[in-house]
Amino acid sequence: MKRRDFLKASTLASTALFTPTFLRGFSRNQMTASRSGKILIVLQLSGGNDGLNTIIPFGDDIYYQKRPVLGIPASEVLKLNEVQGLHPAMGPLRELYNQGELSIINSVGYPDPNRSHFRSMDIWQTGSPATEAWSTGWIGRHLDTLTNQPAYHALEVDDGLSLAMKGELRTGFAMSDANRLRQAVNNQRFASLPTEHATEGNLHYLYKTLTETTDAAGYLYEQSRVYKSKVSFPRNAFGRDLQQIAELITADTATNIYYASLGGFDTHAGQKGRQQRLLTQYAEGVSALVKDLKQNNLFDDVLIMTFSEFGRRLAQNGSGGTDHGTANNVMMIGGKLKKNGFYNPSPDLSKLENEDLIHQVDFRNCYADVIDNWLGGDAKAVLKGKFAGLGVV
Amino acid sequence: MSDLTEIQHLYWRAGFGLSPTEQQTRQNWTRRQAIDDLFNQAETAKPLPENASPDYSGDMMSAASAQEKRKKEQQLLVGINYDWVKRMANAEESALLERMTFFWHDHFACETKFSLLATRQLNTLRKHALGNFKDLVLAIARDPSMIRYLNNQQNRKLKPNENFARELMELFTIGRGRYTESDVKEAARAFTGWSSNKEGEYVFRIRQHDDGEKTFMGATGNFNGEDIIDLILKQKETAQFICRKIYACFVNEQVDEVRVNSLAKDFRSSGYDIGQLMQQVFSSDWFYAPENVGNRIKSPIELMAGMMRQLNVTQISPTGLIGMERALGQILLKPPNVAGWPGGRAWIDNSTLLLRLNLAGALFKAAEINFNLAPELEAETKKKLKQLVAEMNLGPLTSLAGTGNGADQYQRLASYLLQAPTPPFGPQAQRVVFTKNPSLMAVQLMSLPEYQLC
Repeated sequence: MKRRDFLKASTLASTALFTPTFLRGFSRNQMTASRSGKILIVLQLSGGNDGLNTIIPFGDDIYYQKRPVLGIPASEVLKLNEVQGLHPAMGPLRELYNQGELSIINSVGYPDPNRSHFRSMDIWQTGSPATEAWSTGWIGRHLDTLTNQPAYHALEVDDGLSLAMKGELRTGFAMSDANRLRQAVNNQRFASLPTEHATEGNLHYLYKTLTETTDAAGYLYEQSRVYKSKVSFPRNAFGRDLQQIAELITADTATNIYYASLGGFDTHAGQKGRQQRLLTQYAEGVSALVKDLKQNNLFDDVLIMTFSEFGRRLAQNGSGGTDHGTANNVMMIGGKLKKNGFYNPSPDLSKLENEDLIHQVDFRNCYADVIDNWLGGDAKAVLKGKFAGLGVV
Repeated sequence: MSDLTEIQHLYWRAGFGLSPTEQQTRQNWTRRQAIDDLFNQAETAKPLPENASPDYSGDMMSAASAQEKRKKEQQLLVGINYDWVKRMANAEESALLERMTFFWHDHFACETKFSLLATRQLNTLRKHALGNFKDLVLAIARDPSMIRYLNNQQNRKLKPNENFARELMELFTIGRGRYTESDVKEAARAFTGWSSNKEGEYVFRIRQHDDGEKTFMGATGNFNGEDIIDLILKQKETAQFICRKIYACFVNEQVDEVRVNSLAKDFRSSGYDIGQLMQQVFSSDWFYAPENVGNRIKSPIELMAGMMRQLNVTQISPTGLIGMERALGQILLKPPNVAGWPGGRAWIDNSTLLLRLNLAGALFKAAEINFNLAPELEAETKKKLKQLVAEMNLGPLTSLAGTGNGADQYQRLASYLLQAPTPPFGPQAQRVVFTKNPSLMAVQLMSLPEYQLC
């Protein structure tokens, strides 16, 4: 029996047991759905990760002049070429780099950079120009262009749903833990909700969302039990999130977009230890995820994109940290990259604007690459304008 | 529709619903009586007390004490937020005034790090909430938090900053597509020098002001900011833009353009009298038409304030309340951006919906009133629940439920708690009817998707 067929049989049997009575309308096909199409995993580093101490321009003297204390000594940098290298905590990513499975895009940002966390994160999540405030996210608008996809086509591993996942017509799905979600919907009061109700308007929308949530909770719970990873993921929240993603992917879950976050990067003070810890969590988590996907021959179907709302100022501040900056690096990880290694040269540290890096690549070019060339979507519609892809994916 | 349903509808839209006692005393009221009651109460409201003024300069301060000050201000802002929700839930306060202030807070969306500036802005909104729209716009143009939020202190003669001028037209008055890029540039020039000082007060910096000739919306002159506002308000599209937003928020998100245009005509000829506009809305027969009742998704603040009012919540922990605002997506004084909260169906996703449906249960559980939450439910909301320390007085609600058999009680509670039609009894509803316990009935009803609407 193929894994997928086995899954279909087992899922059908057990979901029927706890599906609330008011959900009689749900489709069996949906409950046994499996994936078609590629997978995107978006990893958000919240707080503004210091990109200059992540992908380190150790070959540029200005870097050490501006960061006499915070600069990572060249001897400790995991060198990737003669100018740039990785933070010592990012060892696992050097392996990916060497195997052509990592692409680094330097100096990604947008015109008129905003240094507020919230505003800049909104810009990244909505894909809006800095001069406009949009109320829908780029992944949400991608969902708007699709038809007949389940609520969990895009899944955020979190209690709440990010703006990035909210479209005009459709939204992604938030779930921090499949078992907890199942317990939350499997309650007496929901179970006895009436089967007949409004067929249009806001009341219909509420019932429909609840139905989809309950459907999804059942489906995702079953999916989460199919496969237990044999790789050891780091024992922290981010590690558990990535493990859940790996297990759902291997179970053939009909989810094509996953979204997870790692926070705490706002390192105004005491950056050295903090960033070391966070980058270790990040690198170990991603490494375990990739290893698991490779074991299951799924890595070629997966693209992992990592971003942060902004980078940090080139010059260190007086408290052993760095302040809010502008352009930053974006990392793409996958088994089928069209262009690996460094996409573009190291940031020019001699040319700054207000003491900050000047962006060379618009973040929407990264999105366009992912939407058009990986997800098979319509970047022009999603980004409300023409942005060329990078040719990385 | 029965008169009482009309009255409840009015209080949900013009306020935050009725407490059980308010509902009981308004049983035989007419629309007119209720509208008069709302407007009379609004007239007696007082300004909010201002905190002591902190130093806004930020200069000459060590990093540590700056951080301490930020923290202190953050706490004060949480307090302002918390007090506001409690006023919305308090039957002694003017529901209409709080409702209108809340509407304008969303319309003139703004965020500040300084508690005193937040209080001052709220007082400005309260002062003009039912007054004259021109006075309101002018006061907002001179409001220190808005000036800072939209960079007007950087709007100087030699280097104009267009941020405020653009949002003034796009979001605050006339709407996109009714002005040109050149109008934005010229308006920005007229607002140069409208700034604020380090005491957090409005100042006009004459040396930064561009006194030259400007051409704006077809008129030419040495306009200042107030002239620009006058010129914008001359356009009938401005009255239409505001009335459309009022209609979408207070009546129906599916806007009836004929009614909007008729409202706008009167609004403009009244010289932009907001109180008169709202009187007209609440007095119209169409306001009470079935298609405009019980179909609006409550915002998180409306949901929570309404719930606190109906359940007579006397105590609730600030961290719990603000944590819930965050989880549901609406933190007062922290709109997502200058466009305000998107609202409507944007409030709802799978996680916020589950939280909303569990909120009443969580409140009862937090108040430890006669209610055992299903253990599986507790798991999901555990963290948030722990912070939600609440006390409530269910006497009035129990009295509203009255005596008689369980079905009668349930029916009375349903018509009080739900603005959308009561769904047919499911097995769970039958079980709670059998208990004759009004608390259990209330939780059952408030956990229905129908309760999310008003």
